[in-house]
Amino acid sequence: MKKLSVITSIILMVGIIGYVSSCAPSAKITAKTGAQIWGENCIRCHNPASPSTFSDVQWDVATLHMQIRANLTPEEATKVKEFLQAANN
Amino acid sequence: MKNLWIIMPVLLMSLGTYAQDSLSTYSRQAAQNNISLKPGDSRFMLRGYYHTGLDAVTSEGETDYNFAGGTIAPILMYKQSDRLFFEAEFEGAFEDGEFEWGLEYADVAYVLNNYMTVRAGKFLLPFGTFMEKLHPAWINRLSTRPLGFGHDGIAPTTDVGVELRGAFHLGDVKLNYQAYVINGPQLKDGSEEPDEAGMLMFGYMADNNNDKAVGGRLGFFPFSSSALEVGFSALSGKVGDKGSRFADVRANLYAIDFSLVKNLSFMKSMVDIKGQYNYSQIGNANYKVPEDTTDLFYDFTNTSNSYYAQVSIRPSFVSNEFISNLELVGRYSSMDTPEGSLWEQSPTQLAIGLNYWIDWRTVIKLGYQTTDGLGDHDSPEPITQDMFYIHWAMGF
Repeated sequence: MKKLSVITSIILMVGIIGYVSSCAPSAKITAKTGAQIWGENCIRCHNPASPSTFSDVQWDVATLHMQIRANLTPEEATKVKEFLQAANN
Repeated sequence: MKNLWIIMPVLLMSLGTYAQDSLSTYSRQAAQNNISLKPGDSRFMLRGYYHTGLDAVTSEGETDYNFAGGTIAPILMYKQSDRLFFEAEFEGAFEDGEFEWGLEYADVAYVLNNYMTVRAGKFLLPFGTFMEKLHPAWINRLSTRPLGFGHDGIAPTTDVGVELRGAFHLGDVKLNYQAYVINGPQLKDGSEEPDEAGMLMFGYMADNNNDKAVGGRLGFFPFSSSALEVGFSALSGKVGDKGSRFADVRANLYAIDFSLVKNLSFMKSMVDIKGQYNYSQIGNANYKVPEDTTDLFYDFTNTSNSYYAQVSIRPSFVSNEFISNLELVGRYSSMDTPEGSLWEQSPTQLAIGLNYWIDWRTVIKLGYQTTDGLGDHDSPEPITQDMFYIHWAMGF
């Protein structure tokens, strides 16, 4: 019975991953800019940080931190990082 | 004059050599500086937060004024590669007149692919959103936590284990998930603190049994703007000490969280609405009656719940800078712990605050909070406690 539950869970997980991989974000989502994602997501918990707050290297660290903590997708985190680094110059 | 012609070239040559030496030294230093400023692959970052302020607490007709030294919480981050990341938060605070450091969390994360990140270590549990994302002083809009969180709370805080998390889009909709296996909460059996028999302890490093607790959270953004998020969390595991008569006692915890952050253009303001409901159900057990020598036991239905709802509004888009930095906050919270337990309590709390944001991560909070109902477990009688405070919180 326990083995059956484990096998069912694995099949379910593989199925979900397969389904998710086959589903693409909508055009509206993929067209979002880094500035837009920054404005929409940071404010869900705290005020959006000014791009001048950190150096480019520090933004590299901070955005990976927020990707993990705030559940950003890697695409979203990359766009936000590129926006912050570009606006920081 | 002849001597001058001999001396001049020698002098010029000497100066030239000196200049050349100075120039090459300068060039070498500049080159070294550039090399030292060139970012390497190992990238550290130190962040954190701090708060301090003045509290005035009135209870039973007496008011106590106290400068709150607050808590300093440095956060160390280390990015080793685009996939490998480490972070740790330490918490320093005065406890009974002595300064003590604690480890809030320390975990390592590895980004497996676009949909999965694995974390291991001691981490903030994604049980709802308050403890994982909203509790730091510079993020929390009020200076206190809602009922049900923190000391004597019913919501879990941190634990040690391994977690899988990620996020993905399905069309316009975004989903995020966290699933974890941890040592799990522990049951207080009353042997050390009889008045707390049946309570759960959270955040302990060691396990008290071999049964690992499992849990997770599923978050759902129904709109493409990410303005609205609804989440459901669960945690289940045995909580009694191995080999004791509580060994089979199991706890099931659930939470529902809600967040809406919206630009109200007609008011030139941002409105932020948040809430979380926590429910805790712990298996039945018999606990020894304190200070009884005849082996008398008692039991109770061990279920608890708590919730909070918070609204804040900030006129961020008005032209007056002073007004645009103001923020009004209101929060209502409630908690009910088991009837018949020695830690029975059912307080409700209303908190209102006026904040002034000096910048995006520094805030001065002015607030009032009133708590009514059956009091804490040390004095389970009806209480009314009022609190005024002014706090200064900053993230760095």
